[in-house]
Amino acid sequence: MTQPAIKVEDLSFSYGDIEAVKNVSFEVMPGEILGFLGPNGAGKSTTIKVLTGQMRPKSGRAEILGRETGRDDPEIQAQIGVCFEEKNLYLNMSGLENLNFFASLYGIKDPDAMEVLRRVGLADRAKDRVHSYSKGMRQRMMISRAFINKPTVLFLDEPTDGLDPVTSAQIRTTIQEEADRGAAVLLTTHDMFEADQLSDRVAFINEGEIVALDTAENLKLKYGERSVKVRLRDGEGVREEHIPLDEPGSSARIAELASSPDLMTIHTEEATLEAIFIKLTGRGLE
Amino acid sequence: MSLARIWKVLRKDFAMGPRSPFFLYALVLPIVLTVLFQFAFGSLFEPKPRLGIVDAGNSEITAAMEAAEGIELTLLDDAEELKRQVEANDLDGGLVLPTGFDEAVRDGARPPLDFYIGGESHASNRIILMVTALDSIREVEGSTAPVEVEVVSFGEEGLPLTLRLVPIIVFYALVLAGVAVPGSSMVEEKEKGTLMAILVTPVKVGEVLAAKWLLGLSLTFVMAMMTLALNGALGSRPLDVMLVVLIASLLTAMLGLLVGVVSKDSTMMFGIIKGAGVILFAPVLWYLFPSWPQWIAKLFPLYWIIEPIWQVSVMGEAVSEVWLELVVALAISAMMLPVIVALARRMQAQMASR
Repeated sequence: MTQPAIKVEDLSFSYGDIEAVKNVSFEVMPGEILGFLGPNGAGKSTTIKVLTGQMRPKSGRAEILGRETGRDDPEIQAQIGVCFEEKNLYLNMSGLENLNFFASLYGIKDPDAMEVLRRVGLADRAKDRVHSYSKGMRQRMMISRAFINKPTVLFLDEPTDGLDPVTSAQIRTTIQEEADRGAAVLLTTHDMFEADQLSDRVAFINEGEIVALDTAENLKLKYGERSVKVRLRDGEGVREEHIPLDEPGSSARIAELASSPDLMTIHTEEATLEAIFIKLTGRGLE
Repeated sequence: MSLARIWKVLRKDFAMGPRSPFFLYALVLPIVLTVLFQFAFGSLFEPKPRLGIVDAGNSEITAAMEAAEGIELTLLDDAEELKRQVEANDLDGGLVLPTGFDEAVRDGARPPLDFYIGGESHASNRIILMVTALDSIREVEGSTAPVEVEVVSFGEEGLPLTLRLVPIIVFYALVLAGVAVPGSSMVEEKEKGTLMAILVTPVKVGEVLAAKWLLGLSLTFVMAMMTLALNGALGSRPLDVMLVVLIASLLTAMLGLLVGVVSKDSTMMFGIIKGAGVILFAPVLWYLFPSWPQWIAKLFPLYWIIEPIWQVSVMGEAVSEVWLELVVALAISAMMLPVIVALARRMQAQMASR
């Protein structure tokens, strides 16, 4: 049976008296993308910091590839790739120099840094210093740096935060490619669209606790309402009607409206992850 | 701890060095100070008087001028070329000694002698050349000076000011290259977040600290040796000088590391360097004012590295004469190590919780 790449059991962490992560448990399997969805300050980045060995947990256990984290274990560190929320690149070095330097820290003798840059669309700017890069280009550099060691486990902290839709889409494609290669991906985001599109499973985290963890589809089925929205002409205006699918007589009502000459559009209504998050926590994702 | 990983971080720091204003400042300032001090107090811009001679008869005057200290002699074959060089201010003065000149002087024939003087030459250089030439001619004639001059010196006997200023320049080389460069390199990595990026790779914090320390150590060693060489203060025991400079570099690089781990940002680092600068600089004053009580200088940490450098490089002492100072310097460095390790752990926790 395949072992989880990331295994977290009852993990807690506090900043002084403030409990940032409370008894969190989850697993991420190889090739799986787990979306950590929650608002700012929910405990997403703290969880990543504990898992990447930057901080030691107050209690509980966190394992990467079967080995406990937070023990300055170079073998574990060699297997992970991290994309920080903060764009911490060497601005006075070129993109290529940045990647070659980090590849050398992993002991990679002949890194194919140009190929990695090509994947994120930066090959033509490889020799330019990073300080001349735009925000989107720097973010793509961050992603490429996380990939340089072909990691088994990837931690991506808000990888598309504040980017334009085109750059965000490019980054999502490369993340999916890494998962397809077999990497376990822990993706933190407060973008419900990104979480929905990329994640195999989604964990809702709020005030340091996981309040729901399942596939996006199951969450929608479990917490959403199945309904149909029908729009009809009403004299000079438009009238909308919401018909819950699980109520008796709904099929007959839908058939009646569908045959109406006033019918304009008819759509199924799915709950969004954000709506479910609000339903579960009473707060939004922003 | 992996030497390979330390080397990779160190190599990156050296490669990035020329792109860092601080690194360049550390390289340039000791050289600039040397030139400035030599200009103000030394003889860098007071070149020796330059004399050209066309000697057709193998004169003893030429040999005497050649032997004279403080004169730069150029021998030429052609009188016209001599005149041209004097006129162009390539020479301060020129003599044309014809065949049989020495014999004519000895016979008391009072032969004519043309002494060409450059119009742009310094008056002091002209006087030196003319007096020295006349003295040589008098020696050829066989006569002696009509008086005996007794030289009596007044004022404090001591080393020239240019040598007493050497500790100041060496101090700047040590503090800039040893303290400011590794300190600022560490702080910049923290501020930009690149240290955190390094620490999620297999590199450990101890390896980063070792690389920064080696950066300071090697740069300080090179800059201090270069500064001493530029000031003509390498002494007669270069290996001894290298040893004391190495120990001095070791201590200052530890100080740099300490400043680097304790400072949260550049503002704090510059504040510490400015605040501690007085304490660091204090022992240098005792070389400018040697009459001050020496025991006070020993209260300051850098005394224990500047004194050995002074004794071995300037005063020509053997390293065995300064072993106590060197042991104290090594002890100070050793005491700093556990403090740096403890502060580095705190630094790591602070960075992660940002």
